[in-house]
Amino acid sequence: MTDVPIGHAIVKSVAAELYARALRQVPGETQAALRHLATAESNPTARRTIAIQLESAAEAQAQQTFVCSDAGIPVYVVRIGTGVRLQGDIRRAFVDGFASLIATSDPPLLPHVTDPLTGERSHAGRGMPVVTFDLIDGADYLEIICSPSALGSGRWAALEVFSFPSLATIERYVLEVVLRAGAQPCPPVVIGVGIGGTFDYAAKMAKEAMLRPFGQRHPEPMVAAMERRLLAAVNQTGFGPMGTGGDGTAMELHVEYSAGHGYTPVAVSFNCWINRRAGARIFADGHTEYF
Amino acid sequence: MPDTHYLTTPVDRERIAGLALGDSVYLSGDVVITAGIPSHQRLMEMLESDTPIPVPMAEGALLHFGASHTQLDGKPDVAYINPTTSSRFNPFMPTIISRLGLRVVGGKGGLNAACAQAMRRTGCVYLSFPGGAAPLYARALTAVRAVYWDDFIEHYRLTLLQVDALGPATVAIDAEGRSLYDDIAHSAAARLETIINELDRTRENDTAQCRGAAGNGSIT
Repeated sequence: MTDVPIGHAIVKSVAAELYARALRQVPGETQAALRHLATAESNPTARRTIAIQLESAAEAQAQQTFVCSDAGIPVYVVRIGTGVRLQGDIRRAFVDGFASLIATSDPPLLPHVTDPLTGERSHAGRGMPVVTFDLIDGADYLEIICSPSALGSGRWAALEVFSFPSLATIERYVLEVVLRAGAQPCPPVVIGVGIGGTFDYAAKMAKEAMLRPFGQRHPEPMVAAMERRLLAAVNQTGFGPMGTGGDGTAMELHVEYSAGHGYTPVAVSFNCWINRRAGARIFADGHTEYF
Repeated sequence: MPDTHYLTTPVDRERIAGLALGDSVYLSGDVVITAGIPSHQRLMEMLESDTPIPVPMAEGALLHFGASHTQLDGKPDVAYINPTTSSRFNPFMPTIISRLGLRVVGGKGGLNAACAQAMRRTGCVYLSFPGGAAPLYARALTAVRAVYWDDFIEHYRLTLLQVDALGPATVAIDAEGRSLYDDIAHSAAARLETIINELDRTRENDTAQCRGAAGNGSIT
């Protein structure tokens, strides 16, 4: 059966469920990456910290409780397959989904949604949740990625606009941002780099690069090589897990780029070691797959 | 190898002086937690006006932890606790550490050099608790002893907890004011040009390889 319209109820329910999952799970590939870092780690404190991180991940999964107290603010990246039919208030479904999570979650979420003009915090606010929409030509599903954004890593994202930068300039900037972030974003982190396009698009690419599943290098060899050498460079800085020293400062680094003008924005985004992200696809035939 | 210490509050200065950078610590006894800039501002105002602090913290521990507050049988309870970024409290902590006579502060991400100097003068250490270990910290929580400042949102309140072996945390600033964060940041900054040079060399090789592959027609 095809052509079941995707409506408010299913999107609301999936939006709430994805957030609930993101708070309780450390993605399997992320746990594998932590184990891999631990085997190569020369610093005993760092090995102990990674062991605690892995134990916390296992315990959160077993007890279905939160890994971290900073539940962050709700961020959803939505990609709409052009083969699906949408019906009703889809944008509203994300607001309602987050509200229903707040109303029913056990344990409860702390109020982190902050009015930037007054500093007041609650569970809702202007523009919340942050939802971006994109299209996938021909796909028969609606894809939703939930990426709760917390202070520890969110605070250290950075963007600078250069004029006709060399690769050396771009890569130095990435390292400078990593040095500025230092111990703060709960390493070992995942780093997303967005190069080119426009001011806003570079930031979006950095976020998408950060959310890319592990084990997938950029399809262009030049960019894949940049990812590998930048990751190696970041892991020469010595910050290590939680910034108390060690070899493993980043688990992964991904780069996305776009053509632009000669002015070239470079954006750098961090995800903490939990690498919080949960995704789902709602298909046109009515079934939903979580990933 | 780093040592492991089991500390119970209140802690005397001699015991604190025995903790070395990188050592592992499990903390027991009464600890006060809070996670808000407004709570630090209120503490500062009370100290400046000599108003008594609701809970004495001399030789005790003040930790930057967020807590989700609930009720159990009509009494305040806590659903989970977890460290938060300490560096946003840098402007307040030198005064708070010295005036309260703290022996232990902690959270994640560390404090700056001015705080480390206050810690040296007072005889206090900073403990780095791994972020994102809420399920493990919940196991150490034995009682919610008191909650002050209910006018604040829950994680900004001053919350007195009783804990049993909270940790393991890492001694990241010692009672001599030595800081792993400062040491590592300095060494990373000193190493930056070497890292950049290596990056430049690797890029040249990468570029040559990619061009070679393109020339052979094997690039896809």
